[in-house]
Amino acid sequence: MAATDSPGSPGALRSPGPKGSAGRPARPVNWAVRAVAGRVSFYFFVALVTVFFALPLTWLVLAPFEAHPTFVAGLSQPTLSNFATIFDDPGVLVSLRNSLILALATMVVVVACAAFAAYALSRVRIAGRDIMLYVLLLFSSVVSGSAAMVPLFLLVFDLHLINSLTGVILVLAGGLLPAAIFILKDFMDSVPTSYEESARVFGASPFQILRDIVSPLVRPGLAVIAVWAIVQVWGNFLIPFILLRSSSLTPGAVEIYSFYTSGGSVNLALISTFSLIYTIPVVVMYLFVQKRYGFRFHGGIKR
Amino acid sequence: MAAVTISAMTKVYPNGVKAIEDLDLGIEDGEFFALLGPSGCGKTTLLRLVAGLETASSGRIAIGGEDVTRRPPGARDVAMVFQDYALYPHMDVADNIAYPLKIKKVAKAARRQQAEETGAHLGLAEVMSRRPAQLSGGQQQRVALSRAVAFEPRVFLFDEPLSNLDARLRMEARTFLKRLHAELRTTTIYVTHDQSEALALADRMAVMDHGVVRQIGTPAEVFHRPANLFVAGFIGSTPMNLLSAVVAGGGLRIGDVAVPVPHGAAGRVRDGEDVVLAARPEYITLRRSPGGDALPCEVTITEDLGTSYLVTAELAGEALRVVVPEGECPEPGDRAWAAVDWSRALLYRQDGGDLIGADAPGVPGTGAASASDSAAPDSAVSDSFGAR
Repeated sequence: MAATDSPGSPGALRSPGPKGSAGRPARPVNWAVRAVAGRVSFYFFVALVTVFFALPLTWLVLAPFEAHPTFVAGLSQPTLSNFATIFDDPGVLVSLRNSLILALATMVVVVACAAFAAYALSRVRIAGRDIMLYVLLLFSSVVSGSAAMVPLFLLVFDLHLINSLTGVILVLAGGLLPAAIFILKDFMDSVPTSYEESARVFGASPFQILRDIVSPLVRPGLAVIAVWAIVQVWGNFLIPFILLRSSSLTPGAVEIYSFYTSGGSVNLALISTFSLIYTIPVVVMYLFVQKRYGFRFHGGIKR
Repeated sequence: MAAVTISAMTKVYPNGVKAIEDLDLGIEDGEFFALLGPSGCGKTTLLRLVAGLETASSGRIAIGGEDVTRRPPGARDVAMVFQDYALYPHMDVADNIAYPLKIKKVAKAARRQQAEETGAHLGLAEVMSRRPAQLSGGQQQRVALSRAVAFEPRVFLFDEPLSNLDARLRMEARTFLKRLHAELRTTTIYVTHDQSEALALADRMAVMDHGVVRQIGTPAEVFHRPANLFVAGFIGSTPMNLLSAVVAGGGLRIGDVAVPVPHGAAGRVRDGEDVVLAARPEYITLRRSPGGDALPCEVTITEDLGTSYLVTAELAGEALRVVVPEGECPEPGDRAWAAVDWSRALLYRQDGGDLIGADAPGVPGTGAASASDSAAPDSAVSDSFGAR
């Protein structure tokens, strides 16, 4: 085949192009086409993925400002009346307040308990410590949730904490603690023990060491746990839905359920408006924490 | 300030490793005491036992006459400087120095002032508001030191505080430490693996090996009369010559070379005994011609040390190191005669490695105030190499 393509032509010597590579003359062209095609399909795929994720977000941002939103994202009749309607609803502000209380209180309980537990588990050698942590983590992620709902309900009922924010806070914190301890223990493990030993020689108590030395050093870890706990609680529907009765206690995630007409159809205008309002605090918090507690480590241990 | 007494101390780790074995040690009030030994010899464990960071398996520790064996670290009134300094990275220099005082519940203004004063005294006035990461190694080391000094403890515990500095800074910091101790006169226990640091700083020192003290003494005693072969091999920046010999007919034989018995061991050896002859390279002179009891040898390697040469010569199949002054260096392959200063040479038993005549008095050098590891030999130079 090659011989018929270039029958001893002198041009073959000068240009080591398609003709020069005897045996596989069409290969460089193929390669270029394939490279271009690969690029094109890659960007096409990326664009598809982007659209897939961006569309719902675009809808979420635009729909609240649309007088009669449909499932099509767009702004045909811009208005702010949806926000007026939402804030006229007395249940909305109460639910946002409830969400805030639940999220902050759970965060405080989780961060405080996880800090003490993680520090102890990181520093005290007890047999089977790691196994215990793994089992706790496994149980909290596998068993909690819907499977544990009935026993949890009975437990909270027997504690007379049904229909109280305290009950919800305790159940949520209990569910988050194993993972929080697990994450925070890793941060504590990375703090060199000579910091603590030097403080101990000067007479610091374990509590002083945790407060003055270890906590500031694992601050990024504490921030991670805090943000994560707030986000988890903010979006949790099932537990407050089951444990709370009165509408004056329901958090935002449950309140969304009220934007259905009695016939069961969805009020898209109100649900999108409330969703946008409900999303903003989390986004703002994330940006703030990122800026304030971004990961950094000052050094000070000479290796 | 207080004396530290360690008696019958044993430390066995849970994994069965015996770090310290039945150790007795008395450190006097105001003394600068160095614990010297190779890594893993138990010196740091001993320091941590005194600090209270490790609990003794058996034995007792007393500080200033009080038994502190069972007291937690904070109740012993000691301050420790760690090898990695352990400066708190989230506090500035002033807060770092003041933190021990905060634990002592000193009022904020008072501890701030004390921190400023101590820091300024240790040359940190310019950097009091910086974080540890913004300091040089030498400054970090001084902050760690200031933190211990501001605490005004009864005993300072130093765990290799200079080992993270480069060579030049280490010399400066060493002088600084010595001056600080002369000024404060606080009892100090100083752990190091660097024999030159121990010799330079300590009033007295203990050489440790495998959890056991092999010799206690002033730097001069340890340098000039190592009590056993372990100490002899460990002390000195150029290692001591250790030559196997046999006692024969009132003298020694190394291979087929006849060698006299060092003065300190005279009359204490039996015929046929296996011994080790020890002589520092600094106390041997290399001559170009035979004479007296100089030992014949052949130069194999010469190393330039700047102000002197380290010459390795072969003596009856064994390597003999000699320090030769500047400008008197022989060439490899030269015949030479090694004149040993027999009043400074030592003899050890092959079996057990103990110094023969350890109790012999009147050995030069032992009374010297300080022993430098680069001490020049005081023997005559007139007939040494290069002089002719």
